Amino acid sequence: MARAGGITNAVNVGIAVQADWENREFISHISLNVHRLFDFLVQFEATTKSKLASLNEKLDVLERRLELLEVQVGNASANPSLFAT
Amino acid sequence: MTFDEVSMEHGKSFIFALQELKNLRPQLYSAADYCEKSYLNSDKKPMVLDNMKDYVVRALVNAVDHLGTVAYKLSDILEKQTFDVSTMDLKVSTLNQRLLTWHMYTDKEGLRQQQLLAFIPRHHKHYILPNPVNKKVHFIPHRKIGARQNSFQTRTRLHSSGTPISKTLSWHLASETKSTLKKQTSRTSKNTKDSKFYKKISGVFHLLDSEGSTRMKTSAAQPHLTNGVPTSGAATQTMGATGRDALKHSKPLTTYGSFDDRNGREAVQVHTRSKSVLSSFFVKQTAAKLKAGSVL
Repeated sequence: MARAGGITNAVNVGIAVQADWENREFISHISLNVHRLFDFLVQFEATTKSKLASLNEKLDVLERRLELLEVQVGNASANPSLFAT
Repeated sequence: MTFDEVSMEHGKSFIFALQELKNLRPQLYSAADYCEKSYLNSDKKPMVLDNMKDYVVRALVNAVDHLGTVAYKLSDILEKQTFDVSTMDLKVSTLNQRLLTWHMYTDKEGLRQQQLLAFIPRHHKHYILPNPVNKKVHFIPHRKIGARQNSFQTRTRLHSSGTPISKTLSWHLASETKSTLKKQTSRTSKNTKDSKFYKKISGVFHLLDSEGSTRMKTSAAQPHLTNGVPTSGAATQTMGATGRDALKHSKPLTTYGSFDDRNGREAVQVHTRSKSVLSSFFVKQTAAKLKAGSVL
């Protein structure tokens, strides 16, 4: 009777160990994928920031050019005698 | 309007996706709390654990999907905005170019009004003929050829300064210049031939002069012989000998080739003739002495 109890105990222990191994594997898989997701988000943030910065710079330059053109056109329109000649 | 509507729709969709992503966070937190409580309070822990695993996987997949959607839409919006900015930049460049053109035009008009000189038209480069004289042919410095060259240059200058000339006209003028150059070269060759002929003629003239001089000398020698004829026979014999000597001396005159050699030979002949005359006088004296001796 003692022998039968020992055998069942060993089997139960084996089953428990296997279940624990599977759980650990699942956890590592999940953590790895989460880490990859994190890396993607970091990279996406960097690229988006650079794009926004370049876009902002272009807009600033464009605004300055427009202001200059407005001033030049204003000066030109302020002298109608040139158009008359 | 359509462009604005499309851009507004894109903006709205992005905002909606972002809102969903934001709402996903509390859902995940609530799910985590529920799973924790059920695992702790339930008696069937393995079953609860399996259910929790499945739910976690699905939640992560959903989260990743939402993140991807938001990222794609944001990138799309940024690209469109960049394109719009580039278009605006091009338009501003166009306006700037127009303004610069206007400034240039006004400056030129102002300068034109302020100029005192008359307006001189400038022609394109291909209307100006190249100068083929200096490039192709080298002339001899003669007056006639120089005069023709000057006239040709004046003609080319008139053409270049006058009305614009097409390519065909420039080609025609270049062909005319080539033909005139050929004629001039042929004329120069003729002049050289004429000069050679003149040299030949002058040589012939010198030959004639030399022949005349020899004839004069021979004619001058004859009176001596005629005047010096004595009445006695001995004198006639001596005179015959001298005549033969004169003939011998006179023969080599015709065999000489060049004028210089002839001059030298003639000088030698003069010396020989003078000796012969002296010898004739000596013979006369000896004859006179012999006559005096015979009388005694």
